[in-house]
Amino acid sequence: MASDAAHPLGEPSRPPPAQEVVLAYDQVTFGYTRVPVLREVSLHVRAREFVALVGPNGAGKTTLMRLGLGLLEPSHGTVRLFGKEVGGFREWGRVGYVPQRAGAGASLPVSVEEVVRTGLAGHLGLFRRPTAHHRQRIEHVLDLMGLAPFRGEPIEELSGGQMQRTLIARALVTDPQLLVLDEPTTGVDADARRILKEALEHLVQVEHVAVVYISHDPEGFEGLADRVIEVRAGHANVLRSASGDAALPRPGWESSWRR
Amino acid sequence: MEALSFGFMQRALITCVVVCAVAPLAGAFVVQRRQSLIGDGIGHVAFAGVGLAFLTGTSPLLGAMAMAIIAAVVLFRLERRGRLGGDLSLALIFYGGIALGYLFSQRAGGGLNSVVGFLFGSPNNISWSEVAAITALCAAVAIVVTALYGPLVSISFDEAAARVSGVPTDAVMLALTVVVALIVVGGMQALGVLLIAGMMVVPVAAASQLARSYRSTMLGASAVGVLSAVVGVLVAYYADASTGASIVLTAIACYILATGLRAVRRRYPVQGG
Repeated sequence: MASDAAHPLGEPSRPPPAQEVVLAYDQVTFGYTRVPVLREVSLHVRAREFVALVGPNGAGKTTLMRLGLGLLEPSHGTVRLFGKEVGGFREWGRVGYVPQRAGAGASLPVSVEEVVRTGLAGHLGLFRRPTAHHRQRIEHVLDLMGLAPFRGEPIEELSGGQMQRTLIARALVTDPQLLVLDEPTTGVDADARRILKEALEHLVQVEHVAVVYISHDPEGFEGLADRVIEVRAGHANVLRSASGDAALPRPGWESSWRR
Repeated sequence: MEALSFGFMQRALITCVVVCAVAPLAGAFVVQRRQSLIGDGIGHVAFAGVGLAFLTGTSPLLGAMAMAIIAAVVLFRLERRGRLGGDLSLALIFYGGIALGYLFSQRAGGGLNSVVGFLFGSPNNISWSEVAAITALCAAVAIVVTALYGPLVSISFDEAAARVSGVPTDAVMLALTVVVALIVVGGMQALGVLLIAGMMVVPVAAASQLARSYRSTMLGASAVGVLSAVVGVLVAYYADASTGASIVLTAIACYILATGLRAVRRRYPVQGG
């Protein structure tokens, strides 16, 4: 259980310095079988940065993210979160994760507020109930995502967009400094996409959260992404930076490249 | 009420109520993870433990407890390695447990009559000391589920996100599987190893028809469990029927009723609510 002194819930959140690397892959290779899905990928995400990961289905975008979150272990290379190797990382309150199609298979009714509250489970541990500060934080993220009117509703009755906002609210409840979203606009209508984008804009510009955004739909991150990185054929290549388009001469060199 | 003037009925009622109140608490998490048959699998292996206890002359409760906990750990490891997805491994455990249990009890000199109470329950033969042991076991289960409530809801909804939020998912899921094993053992004498798993699942299914949150599903399921136990024990007494079967059938009746109420509620929604 995370009992980190530096946990953002312990005191009002202060974003890390802009140059701090929050997520670093160095020469990471990974394969589910003997054939690697990712080969010697190097990629650094800095504080307050918005990085979009694009690429064809099955290219390894989600695999790359799962490695970054410690859900998979690389065959070679290292992954670091906030400077610590992900295997020994314990300050999970600093990371928010919005997986693909989470809760789609839920067979029992779960209310919006209960889902948001689950984001605190790792922080609270056993027997501890949310304090006044935690409850304030829950209220804040419900408001931020426009979910306050639906707090008691079962998620099965929500639209795709409301569901995604619920999952983002859950990921934000610990006041993270890095937010990872996997295909957040899948199954979401145009209106909801706009609301999602506005919410992300607020997170990046006002709350200074670093965002890693996996999507095949550029509309979701248009105007927000500092860098667009394509995952293809096992490599991660920068397609575009905030300063303009960049056509890369060879794959795998991304870590040394900065905007 | 005449039925409750008898000591054996008082013991049967207390045991069934306690077991049926607690079983759905763990059941809610098992159902949410689509592992409704895991309690059944553990029950079958617990039966092998009963047979082994007959063979070695030890307490059936202890034999069942040992085998149920071993089964819980094995099932947990199989599930973690993704080998419980197909039905083959569960089927092997189901049939292996029943076959071993019957073989052991036969070798111990008993026949079907000696084990039928453990298969389908015999709450009328429970002593006060057994009532106390079962109540203590169920209290322990309730405490563990309460302690793990937040992490369990988190994992049941989305295990990957739970891990990323810092929940030790493997430890919590192992604890849940062991809790299921304890419920199987606690309910073995009251409802039998073949029926106790039903009381982990059916009340949850009934409550989920009308509930709008996880907490209300769990509390509602526990209430359905208690109602089923009271009605089942009394029906069994007055109709001279099997108690375990009456309890499970009452819970299924609650499920059908709840499904009907849900259909009515959807057709005639409450305005302004």
